[in-house]
Amino acid sequence: MLACALSLSACGSNSGTNGDTSSAGASGEAGAPYELTVAYFTFGSVPKDQQLVEAELSKLTKAKINATVKLLPISLSTWQNQINLMLTSNEKLDLMVLMGNSYANQAAKGQLVELDELLAQHGQGIVEALGPDYSNAAKISGKTYGVPTVRDLAASYGYMIRKDLADKFKLDLTNAKTLDDLEPVLKTIKDNEPNLIPMVNGTGSSPLTYFSTRDSLGDDMGVLLDNGKDLKVVNWFETEEYAAELKKMREWYKAGYISKDAVTVKESTSDIIKAGKGAGNLATLKPGFDTQESRLSGMPIVSYQMLPPVAKTSTVTSIMWGIAKNSENPEKAMQFLNLMYSDKDIVNLLDWGIEGKHYVKVKDNVIDYPEGINAGNVGYSGMGWLFGNQFLSYIFNGDDEQLWEKMKQFNDGAIKSKALGFTFDSSPVKTEFAAVSNVLDQYQAALENGALDPDKTLPEFIGKLKDAGIDKIIAEKQKQLDAWAAANGK
Amino acid sequence: MSSATKRWKRFVPLFCLMLPGLAYLIVNNYLPMFGIIIAFKDFNFSSGILGSDWVGFKNFEYLFKTSDAYVITRNTLLYNGFFIIVNTIGAIGLAVLLNEIRKKFFQRFYQSVIVLPHLISMVIVSYLVFALLSSDTGLLNKSILPLFGIEEISWYSSKEYWPYILTVVNIWKGIGFLSVVYLASIISIDTEYYEAATLDGASKWQQIRSITIPIIMPVITMMTLLSIGRIFYSDFGLFYQVPMDSGVLSDTTNVIDTYVYRALMNLGDIGMSSAAGVYQSVVGFALVILSNYAVRKFSKDNALF
Repeated sequence: MLACALSLSACGSNSGTNGDTSSAGASGEAGAPYELTVAYFTFGSVPKDQQLVEAELSKLTKAKINATVKLLPISLSTWQNQINLMLTSNEKLDLMVLMGNSYANQAAKGQLVELDELLAQHGQGIVEALGPDYSNAAKISGKTYGVPTVRDLAASYGYMIRKDLADKFKLDLTNAKTLDDLEPVLKTIKDNEPNLIPMVNGTGSSPLTYFSTRDSLGDDMGVLLDNGKDLKVVNWFETEEYAAELKKMREWYKAGYISKDAVTVKESTSDIIKAGKGAGNLATLKPGFDTQESRLSGMPIVSYQMLPPVAKTSTVTSIMWGIAKNSENPEKAMQFLNLMYSDKDIVNLLDWGIEGKHYVKVKDNVIDYPEGINAGNVGYSGMGWLFGNQFLSYIFNGDDEQLWEKMKQFNDGAIKSKALGFTFDSSPVKTEFAAVSNVLDQYQAALENGALDPDKTLPEFIGKLKDAGIDKIIAEKQKQLDAWAAANGK
Repeated sequence: MSSATKRWKRFVPLFCLMLPGLAYLIVNNYLPMFGIIIAFKDFNFSSGILGSDWVGFKNFEYLFKTSDAYVITRNTLLYNGFFIIVNTIGAIGLAVLLNEIRKKFFQRFYQSVIVLPHLISMVIVSYLVFALLSSDTGLLNKSILPLFGIEEISWYSSKEYWPYILTVVNIWKGIGFLSVVYLASIISIDTEYYEAATLDGASKWQQIRSITIPIIMPVITMMTLLSIGRIFYSDFGLFYQVPMDSGVLSDTTNVIDTYVYRALMNLGDIGMSSAAGVYQSVVGFALVILSNYAVRKFSKDNALF
């Protein structure tokens, strides 16, 4: 323990930004350290060495900003419920992960602290790491309530599959661009491996969740087609494209490519594949995806890009950090957030655990598991794209050493939606928004997993959306989008 | 004056007995009532309950925007009304049958087996049901339906079956406990009645109809009235856990309690979910008054007030 603490502090001293923040934070601050509660979501169970990492982290933050950290991982399937409950019952909560789909809503309801001033005072590291384009993407009416993590800020979609299956059946998807192109692969797997689901889906999602050619403008209630080529808001559920996709999903469901229990699934895709029940699924891809997934599933995974990378507000704001209204000390929260974007030690502790115990250094910036440890029995592993600035994270042995350069290129080279930076404020139409949300909850997942017959149910779905007032939302969205475009000279 | 003091003194112990219950009622049921104003406000966390803006009935609009209010009211009333009828008839029948079992051991055995489901948590029940109904591995789809040459059914996306499934689960889970209540009052009936009836040549069926049922009638009325008073409050676990929170089924499985829960959890809007809560209370209140009125007409002694 002592040895790794020493080695951590030793490598900490050679990082310039880190030295600055520590002196800034520690100076003139006496008294008991403030305990920061940091909530984020996880896909699986809580790692068994969570507390060790938490203790180690608190040691670092106590020295740097006179605060200790309590990590609060919440399973993704209950995340929305739990976080709403914590916010409404005013439980102790400082920093929390924000997800694009509820971000605007949370900001409108006053659940989040406005960050602009705090960023200027204590968040220089964050602003520097993000760059102006992407840090502005999260603004709502000119104000910042959340900061995106530094990671893949664009999204490309494609199919991932267990490598052993891809090799066994000599699957080649390099030229697959459409759902039709994917079909023969699913058929091969179904025919030869009847016990595996060829197209796995996780809780509340469907294959179509990860095969999108539209800019959903955050909530799918009024979207821009063709990844935001123009600024005309349309009802996605009424398009022929959507109808055709649903038809395809229905075929897949009937053929057994999609699980018959898709609607009631309570696990993540990687857990299903890890358990040997699934072969692959459509997913959001990025540089380094294969190795990340291989680690999550505990077996080699390959992926094939089918749609090119696109940056939309939703891909940037999908994972952000914000300060909850509940926080008793927003300044400390911002200081810790700043460390997550600028301090290599903090980032790597959260991403990889404790050096010597959960990883060892192979080269300067490259790490590997210690002897006798592997992906299956390591006591801690975090999600790099979640904890602040991923570009400060060590590269895992076997990963591309140029990974972060490639990721930068991926971000910079992505097609940018015309509406990048626009966030819809649903409060003027909140009655309709609530009613439409209820309709989406009722139909979307079942239709998009093929569990319902679209010939019968799609017209019913569209009718209910109209009753609930989707047209009013679309009109309001168009109005806000036009105003935004005028203000930003688009 | 002195007589009033005297009387007051006499009641002091009784008032003391009442105190804890009264305190509980005030703290738990009456104090939170002021929160009803949240339903009429655009609740904002930074301005607090009193500081938020009044919006009148705007929070209620989304309930009536679609057929939601109608669907959840209909489901709640029909399900609970049906449960009351079926459970009462079933439980009485079961109690009569149990009473006829002469061997003590078997009577105890059956009784325990029937009450057992009452003790199982709804979450576990929901997985028992899932083991039966799951499409990939379920007993019904994989073993039973093929025997009859029926095609697989995706239960969790076919809303038409759920009224039956939920009723069966409810009966299976609830009937045992209710039948024990009735059995207790049947056992206490004096055996002389039955002996006299047997001497007069009355059949078993005649004995049940003319002796057992009339004697336990007050218990039946009381139990039924108690359930009617709660007709607007559904068994949350039954309607939320057992359908596995599957959205497609909400036409036939959404009741007011699950709707309020989902409104708060999915939208995170306190004002709107309070509005749904207020709706539940108002309709529930009207219903208690109505059913009490009906009971008064039918038999004054059995009315609650």
